[in-house]
Amino acid sequence: MPDPRPHIVVNDLRIGWGSRVLMEHVTFDVQRGSVFTILGGSGSGKSTLLRYLIGLDQPLSGTIDIDGIGTPHQYEGVPRFGVLFQSGALFSSMTLAENLALPLTTWTPVRGHLVEDLVQAKLDLVGLGAFAGHLPGEISGGMKKRAGIARAMMLEPDLLFFDEPSAGLDPISAYELDQLILTLSRDLGITIVIVTHELPSIFLVADSCIVLDKVAKGIVARGNPCEVRDQSNIPFVHAFFTRSSPPTIADQGV
Amino acid sequence: MDVAVRAHREGDRARLIPTGPFDLPHARIAASAIATAETALTGCRTVELELADVVDIDGTGAVQLARLLDRVEATGPRTQVVEAHNPKAARLIALYRQRRTVKAPVAPRRRTILGRLGSIADSLPRALTRGLDFIGHDAVAVPQAVAAPSSVDWRSVPHLIQVIGADGLAVTGAANLLVGLIIGFLGVSQLGRFGVTVYVPELVVVAHFRELGPLVTAIVVAGRSGAGLASEIATMKVSEEIDALRSMGFDPVRWLVVPRCVALVLAVPVLTWIGDVLALLGGLVATTFLTDMSARAYVMATADAITGTNFLEGLIKTPFLALAIGLIACGQGLATQGGAAAVGARTTTAVVLSIFGVIVISSVFTFFFALMGL
Repeated sequence: MPDPRPHIVVNDLRIGWGSRVLMEHVTFDVQRGSVFTILGGSGSGKSTLLRYLIGLDQPLSGTIDIDGIGTPHQYEGVPRFGVLFQSGALFSSMTLAENLALPLTTWTPVRGHLVEDLVQAKLDLVGLGAFAGHLPGEISGGMKKRAGIARAMMLEPDLLFFDEPSAGLDPISAYELDQLILTLSRDLGITIVIVTHELPSIFLVADSCIVLDKVAKGIVARGNPCEVRDQSNIPFVHAFFTRSSPPTIADQGV
Repeated sequence: MDVAVRAHREGDRARLIPTGPFDLPHARIAASAIATAETALTGCRTVELELADVVDIDGTGAVQLARLLDRVEATGPRTQVVEAHNPKAARLIALYRQRRTVKAPVAPRRRTILGRLGSIADSLPRALTRGLDFIGHDAVAVPQAVAAPSSVDWRSVPHLIQVIGADGLAVTGAANLLVGLIIGFLGVSQLGRFGVTVYVPELVVVAHFRELGPLVTAIVVAGRSGAGLASEIATMKVSEEIDALRSMGFDPVRWLVVPRCVALVLAVPVLTWIGDVLALLGGLVATTFLTDMSARAYVMATADAITGTNFLEGLIKTPFLALAIGLIACGQGLATQGGAAAVGARTTTAVVLSIFGVIVISSVFTFFFALMGL
């Protein structure tokens, strides 16, 4: 029986630096086991919001509850979730296997052959089974991202954050990554929060979404991506989903 | 609930019943339970995995059970997963079994000490060729820069002089002052044994102006600015900024290396000269503190000792030392390949090589001047 309580509850978040407010009145829930996307144009603060969700920055006001136990502080104790950074953020001096083994050997008592088995299984899961001994510098950008996902999953988190997972990938690699995300969500029941602006991915994987706008300094639309696309009457949202220019003030006859 | 794997044998059929949570926190107990159960399977023809009693399962538990089934199948018996009571566990195990790589992973490359020594020896001629090639490229860049001044980022020169010169003044000044103090102390203690402390001012001038001033200043600049320049260019290289420069038609040597070398060649002699003055002050403090020589007498003796030869012999080599620091730091930066670790390694090499280079060049000058009888 799935837990009916939301996995993440963000309440009236206000973020920025000093007197400069980047976003305010940000309120949303992420349901357990769902794929949730944070959408918006370049510079709308998607990746910045992600930094707050994973506890890298502290908000000016408002709260973020993950599992009902408050704002995470990733760097004190065992991480409760996995994060895929935009470039994969693999440690360049370590092989893929060493990158993946690091969280296991740091945070769990698992050692020896079991570590090798688990690392290999995660690499197999993302299709990089044959690259365990490679250094990050020796593999492509898409492979780095997949290795980053595998590393994020090493501690079996029930929540994963992905920052632009398919940006800069060819359509086939992007599709494979989307399939992987669906597998993680459906077969493993992991809650996944994705920051993206890749339209094909959004419609394929997302259960729900929020759309951020830098002019409005916050959320301008929310719900199922198809419903938002079809029902929103906000020009920016319409333009975002139809890949067109938003109407200017002159167009609107103001 | 405890983790266990019960094995029931009925002739050549075995039924494995994992019980309890199969997740990461219980992975070690599960591993030993699986290993124990596996010993009961010898001689079976069919092995059934009953998942009804698995209360909680994650990827780790699924991998352990999937590998168990793989191992059993590899020795002959047929396996079957009874999934009716726990479809989630069955799905997870199936996922990790499907995705298994058939191709063996590439083993991590581990080199022996001899192997590493061999590869270093192998790479030496190439490194030397590349170094000479870089120096040649720099030499060509100078007339090219003069012919096409817009191909050099001249606007960065004042800022670089500020960073290398003015910002580095405190540390080079302090180092020179202390070295002057040390020469003063040593002079007083050694020359005092012969009653000729009157020669201490001359000793400070000769030792510092000719040798130690340029050397100390250059070593401090190599450690400080050499590391800074090397890591800056190395980071530009790994983040493809150098490639971007090339793609826009800029020559990175002219655009980046020339201004940095120019800034060093201008700043280091000034730093050396200021360092020389501070070293004289150090010598004066030491001598007047330890002997009854007056400050006025010390200054008079110092003024007599500062000859054109003493002064120029030191200053003439500083541009060469500065150039060596600039070329080594920028060359190492541009040769970087890889990620963050490569930036660190190249920066370390740049500092070590430039300090060593500075000492070697300084010695060559000393030897040359000695041959000339200066």
